[in-house]
Amino acid sequence: MLFIKECKKLFRSVTFIIYSVLVVLMFWTQYWDVLDAPLNETACMSYEETKTSGDPELIMPAALDSLTGCYLSNSYICYPYGFFKSVHLNSSKSKKIQKYITELSGLSSDEIEALKDQNDKFYTSYGTTDYEEYNVKDVPLKKDVTYERFVEIMGDVNDILGGGSDYKPDALAYNFSQVKMTEEELKEQYNDFIEKDHISIAYGRLFSDYLGIDLAFVPVFVAAALITADRRGKMKELVYSRKVSSFKLVFTRFAALFATMMIPVLLCAALSAAKIMYMYSGSDPSFTGFFAVSGAWLIPNIAMTTAVGMLVSEIFSAGAAILVQFIFWFGSLMMSDAALYGNIGKFTFICRHNRLMYRADFMANYDNFVFNRVFYLILSLVMVLLTVFVYELKRGGRFNGIVLFGKGGIFRRKA
Amino acid sequence: MDNNIVIKNVDKFYGNKQALYNIDLTIGKGMFGLLGRNGAGKTTLMKMLAALHQKKKGEITVCGIPIEKAGQIRAVTGYLPQDFSMYPSMRTDEALEYLGTLSGMKRDELRKRTTSLLARVNLTEHRHKKIKQLSGGMKRRLGIAQALIHDPKVLIVDEPTAGLDPEERIRFRNLLCEVAEDRIVILSTHIVGDIEATCEQIAIMDEGRILWRGTVSELVKNAEGHVYTVNVEKKFMPQIKKEYIVTGMLAQTEYATVRIVSDQEPDLPNAVLTEPDLEAAYMYCLHSSGCDVKGGEE
Repeated sequence: MLFIKECKKLFRSVTFIIYSVLVVLMFWTQYWDVLDAPLNETACMSYEETKTSGDPELIMPAALDSLTGCYLSNSYICYPYGFFKSVHLNSSKSKKIQKYITELSGLSSDEIEALKDQNDKFYTSYGTTDYEEYNVKDVPLKKDVTYERFVEIMGDVNDILGGGSDYKPDALAYNFSQVKMTEEELKEQYNDFIEKDHISIAYGRLFSDYLGIDLAFVPVFVAAALITADRRGKMKELVYSRKVSSFKLVFTRFAALFATMMIPVLLCAALSAAKIMYMYSGSDPSFTGFFAVSGAWLIPNIAMTTAVGMLVSEIFSAGAAILVQFIFWFGSLMMSDAALYGNIGKFTFICRHNRLMYRADFMANYDNFVFNRVFYLILSLVMVLLTVFVYELKRGGRFNGIVLFGKGGIFRRKA
Repeated sequence: MDNNIVIKNVDKFYGNKQALYNIDLTIGKGMFGLLGRNGAGKTTLMKMLAALHQKKKGEITVCGIPIEKAGQIRAVTGYLPQDFSMYPSMRTDEALEYLGTLSGMKRDELRKRTTSLLARVNLTEHRHKKIKQLSGGMKRRLGIAQALIHDPKVLIVDEPTAGLDPEERIRFRNLLCEVAEDRIVILSTHIVGDIEATCEQIAIMDEGRILWRGTVSELVKNAEGHVYTVNVEKKFMPQIKKEYIVTGMLAQTEYATVRIVSDQEPDLPNAVLTEPDLEAAYMYCLHSSGCDVKGGEE
């Protein structure tokens, strides 16, 4: 009965309505167009799809060309912690890069400089400064350079650049070995779509990719609003003085938040699954597959974001919860944006797979995906348990929360 | 089962600051008034009885249940805080049912109890109104209803009449007296009139200490021989207020009839010893306990 009453409270809240609108907007504007027409084999075979080869013979020359071009213009683009950064090195660091290029190519410093005249030049502006950049090609690669040593050098280069560069060892394959798919590979990919993904699983991944971005942040508003409603409504002590245990109250509220926030997601999923069933009626698509993949993908997002909202709101305030989740969300998004598909690390909160196809890339990270989702689901439950603990302390007058700003706040501005 | 609240040698600290000193009280069935100035420690004591604050030292049992068993204490107590409201967009009956659910009540029992309590606090016709549409008095009555929803053995009400108009205040006092027939009701207030109209047993608190404990008539008797009325020219009023504790004044054109509290017969012409009322008795109690009483001083 308490669960239903908490759900009713949520249905009436403005934050839940805004949440629902944002979920539907994301679904409608980003995903729905994918369902305009069914994919068929002929269309799939005509796509110019690429794949990551991972072949050192491709990676090493391409990365050396890129590094030499950047060295000559002293302009590197990096994404440390997911944020864009234009890097320009001082002379000593530049000298180290030159030494690595010399080690890989056998070219002397002067010979490297001479490449400026042998390659295309263009200009790029960063801020108020124009940089001369070079589209360097065919830098010779010494035959005795092993791939292990090459990766080691690229790791050092990445460190010199401050991290997040194209030369980061685990990003080398993705950045420097993209190759066009062969006809057989395209055919195999289409067959995977039909036979292994049963059509709807592929759509479910794409659906989850888009909605996962929303659901890694927006639920925090609903959770924070519910948790602080007692305080805002001057109802805190009326609730505190009730017989209900803190465990039951906090977990019921978590369950109510989770269940209500799943409703718009399930409605979008049902609409999508129904359209897939209709579009591919002759190909026997799986109806449940769509829900299975999107459920496994999105449930931890909602659970984790809700748990952060509850715990941080209980300790600090709703504003702090939103800020914490925003930082977590933005950082995760920036990190996962480095590769929009097949980029699922063990701890990447926002999993991305922004392709309908590429099942093999997803499956290559499947173990990570399972670990990741279970990890965040368990972590969210641990955070709810912590919320129970904090709530019990507050209820018994042993802890009053931490005020950050305003009257009595630890960051209060001095007059 | 023990039907009393027993408080023994209780101390309470907020950080390093001591809020309650060695509180000793036994409270039985019926209305019990806890009278004291703002900041006397009444709310702190009320919250401790509702298991919302921890004591540093001493023992408290509510109907035989040690205060440490917070869940059991909350099951037998109803609490109406000083400053409260409810979710503004919730309906009156919904708010009651929600709080009843938090008290572990079953649906059918809760519906019956909600209907009867709304009738008892004269809110039946407002049951479908949203909380934000209720007046201050209605909210207070709803507050009593929510505190009684689970039929507690103990009702704790903290400054319930503050801000109410006289009619609502009388209605509220009567309501409290009615519900006190079969349970302990502790009324904490700084308004002497509320105590006078409802309580027989009282305690007076100041600066975290119990100054006095007994019946209202004993308190009044205690002040006998220390309350005077005197007619003085109005121009002498500032001086009178400076020298004596003034508990009442009836101003006329040039003269004022003043009621004062004094240990000795005041050195004023026409000073007549008079029967103390509860307000004067309370002021005398504070004064005789060494409290800095500023009654009437401007």
